[in-house]
Amino acid sequence: MKGFSNYLPVLVVCFPIFAALLLFLIQHFAAKLRDLAAQVIAGITLALVASMYPFIKSLGTIGISFSRIMPPFGISFRADLLSFILALIAAAVWLLATIYSKEYMAHEGRQNRYYPFLLLSLGGCLGVFLTGDLFSLFVFFELMSLTAYVLIVHEESPFAMAAGYKYLILTIIGGLALFFGIAIAFAAAGNVQIAPGNYLFTQINSLSFIAFIAFLVGFGIKMGIFPLHVWLPDAHPVAPSPASALLSGIMLKTGAYGLIRVVYNVYGPSLIAQAGWDKILLALAGITIFLGSAVAIAQTDIKRRLAYSSIGQMGYVLLGLALLNVNGLTGTIFHIFSHGLMKSTLFLSAGAMIYKTGKRQISEFAGIGYKMPITMGCFTLAALAMIGIPPLNGFISKLILSMGALDAGKPGFVFLLVLSSLMNGIYYLPIIINAFLGVEKEKRVWAKPFTELKWSMWAPIVLLALGCLIFGLFPLNYPLDWAKAAANLLLGVSK
Amino acid sequence: MSHLPVVILVVYLAAALGLIPLSKLKRFSPGWGALAVTSLALLLAIVSALFVGANGPYSLFPGGHAGQGIEIAVDWVAVLMHLTINLVGLLILVFSQGDLESELKRSYLPIYYAVYLLALFALNGLIMAGDLFNLYIFTEICSIAAIALVAIKPGKQCLQAGLKYMFLSALASGMILLGIGLVYMVAGELNIRALAEAIPQAFQTCPWNVYVAVSLIIVGFGIKSALFPLHLWLPDAHASAATPSSAIHSGLIIKMYIIAVARIIFQAFGPNLFGSIPAPKVILLLSTIGIFAGSVLALVQTDLKRMLAYSTVAQISYIIMGFALAVPAGIRGGLLHIVNHGLTKSMLFLTAGAIIYKTGIRRIEELRGIGFRMPLTTSIFSIGALSLIGFPGFSGFVSKYYLAFGALEAGKPIYVAVILASSLLNAVYYLPIVIRAFLGHKTGKFTWDQLPWPMTAAMTVLAAFNLYIGILPGGLLGLVKLAAAALLP
Repeated sequence: MKGFSNYLPVLVVCFPIFAALLLFLIQHFAAKLRDLAAQVIAGITLALVASMYPFIKSLGTIGISFSRIMPPFGISFRADLLSFILALIAAAVWLLATIYSKEYMAHEGRQNRYYPFLLLSLGGCLGVFLTGDLFSLFVFFELMSLTAYVLIVHEESPFAMAAGYKYLILTIIGGLALFFGIAIAFAAAGNVQIAPGNYLFTQINSLSFIAFIAFLVGFGIKMGIFPLHVWLPDAHPVAPSPASALLSGIMLKTGAYGLIRVVYNVYGPSLIAQAGWDKILLALAGITIFLGSAVAIAQTDIKRRLAYSSIGQMGYVLLGLALLNVNGLTGTIFHIFSHGLMKSTLFLSAGAMIYKTGKRQISEFAGIGYKMPITMGCFTLAALAMIGIPPLNGFISKLILSMGALDAGKPGFVFLLVLSSLMNGIYYLPIIINAFLGVEKEKRVWAKPFTELKWSMWAPIVLLALGCLIFGLFPLNYPLDWAKAAANLLLGVSK
Repeated sequence: MSHLPVVILVVYLAAALGLIPLSKLKRFSPGWGALAVTSLALLLAIVSALFVGANGPYSLFPGGHAGQGIEIAVDWVAVLMHLTINLVGLLILVFSQGDLESELKRSYLPIYYAVYLLALFALNGLIMAGDLFNLYIFTEICSIAAIALVAIKPGKQCLQAGLKYMFLSALASGMILLGIGLVYMVAGELNIRALAEAIPQAFQTCPWNVYVAVSLIIVGFGIKSALFPLHLWLPDAHASAATPSSAIHSGLIIKMYIIAVARIIFQAFGPNLFGSIPAPKVILLLSTIGIFAGSVLALVQTDLKRMLAYSTVAQISYIIMGFALAVPAGIRGGLLHIVNHGLTKSMLFLTAGAIIYKTGIRRIEELRGIGFRMPLTTSIFSIGALSLIGFPGFSGFVSKYYLAFGALEAGKPIYVAVILASSLLNAVYYLPIVIRAFLGHKTGKFTWDQLPWPMTAAMTVLAAFNLYIGILPGGLLGLVKLAAAALLP
């Protein structure tokens, strides 16, 4: 295992981090160069992530560990199929959000701070997906969380500062809980490697239960699971829209990824099932799905509604991974992927509307579909995917999740999924109806005239929306195949 | 070569005595003179560490009675602490070249530096004292020098703090001396090695003597190292003193007393005896309360230096907790935190001093936007803050996880929870300062700090050490492992 390919995950993670530090210097010369450099860096990162694929396909796992950094744990990098899918979607959405940011952030200002932190958080996020042990995962998790704070408070208004502070404190609590869990795991097993079959806990006792709860709290806060979601509806909407898209679309998923690793690699599905701890996860998932969707209906601010919707969607993800079967896990992984596409489309297009009109209330967007047909069209497509209308990608993930629930003998959750789809319909459809059919043609008067976005802003949105369509419609669905393969790998099922 | 540690002491003592007469010379700067002496001492400490690395730990017996009388123990604990003391002492001294003239009268400078060197002399001696007699002597010298470092700054506040410190310190010294007397009464020995053999038997005959002696020694050193609730003198003293004094107090002095008491407890009395009496439980409880009380009190402070002082009360409780767990990982955590907190807290005090030097601001509220006026200083402050909160990649994290391992190894996971809860409290009082320094108000343009170069250099080097230990702690961990084994085999 000494080939060059083993260094690829290291390169993928370190490149954006060091490039971000370089960007601090570059931006002294010219603003134009800075915007371009940020896009190029994100682009190269995506290319590097993609270049891992042939090696992962042939070797299964690539990676390397550096035991001299931060002993006794060491820092290690590792990429398998699951890591690859998530890193790929993360890098792709990050690139599109960076392209979108050029115009959007010109309006918000302070790009000299925004871009380096955007790239640092990309490095942290990729680090979470591409590390080979819990400790390294934790280190990059903290890096990502801390840099995301700067993105959240970008506006620096008192409300943003308050939301950011809440986020920061809960993030620190989450980090400490994770550290608690990792320390117990290290004391119990002598290592914290993430590797197939290397279960760190083999006994059910109070210490392993405490560690399980600590992991659940640590990753659950990031994921926004009820009742740890309190920071999310404040923090996600207050960030600049491209950052909201990344927070909701990608960074939430680091928590889900961590939980997948905890359940399937650290404890092992059989131990979790034997101890009955999956019931805790299932109960939380049920509440989260219902609560997120129900509260979203009550929101009038468009970004807040999207943020609550994310909470509900993370309930799906938690549900799938708690079912402990192949279909459930496949659904979870595929939903992480599809929700990344859908939610970033929604946030970017909502951001575009706010950017153009300066308004945030849903009722104020009446008739906007005629002014911004491309943006609103993409919003519609992604919203329909969210509701789970075939043939969009959201339908497929819900279908597989339902199959998983049936496999596990829990048809109640199928009912919950259907109910939640209905609620998604209740809070997404009015936005669309209002945008296209809300007012008569003559009354569509706007205080400030505006037109459709520049191409550099709509192109990322369109690409993401097309993703929702393609990964639902096309018969050759690579992400779905990868999700299945990754689920089989995690459950130790050989096909 | 084996006499190098003694040479360090001689150099310091001679320099401390010679500095005042020498400063009558026109072209002699006492500051740079002290700096030269400390650099030499650091060099000697490094050579001595290499010597011990090659030949193993050893002891010197100036009285000639091997294993009986006066002993200078050059073990790994001494090596580790020599390096820490002289490094941190040197960097604080570098800083004071820029800062001190703004805080003290010019005519006091030679005296200040002489006392400073005397304190370093005592610290270097204290951590390699192999017998209770020497240990007590160095404790006393150290205490007197420490009080002088506080009281020398003009102003009623400093005098008051110095007096309070002196009364409590004198009380503590009395207790320690009484404790040593009681030990000598039953065991008939002062040498720590000889005591280790004599005490079990003495404990059979006069258990109460030993109990009372242990208690007196622990309480005495507890006062000196500010174990809660014996910390009353510390916030006043650390907050009002000149910046270099605060830094050396919080960074070094109070911790070396912990080393002294750890030597007595683990090497003379032995961990078994220590474990058989309720002392560890009481100390663990007190340090837990100290961690929370220190943090909560830090939270309500409005003065930056006072906040740092209360934070020290909390942090010192971590160290004491690590030792009181009485397991190898806990002691490693305690030793690591002595080094890391020594580097970090002195750095924080220096940054606070730099801010006061440049802007005169002491109140935390007024620090809004300081990040734009003094970006380097504020960044270094942020590094220190993140380190004490225990973010991975900073030195404080390393000691935190060893302390956590210690608690798990001792089978007391509740103390892991205590450490983590207190990390959260640290975040609650450190992060708002960092946040308000950079965010949340109309951003100005960055202007460079423009501090005298010695101040910038000292803070930067400390910050670099902090990050280095945070990312590559391998070398330090190796040294700490050896030192912990010397205390608790």
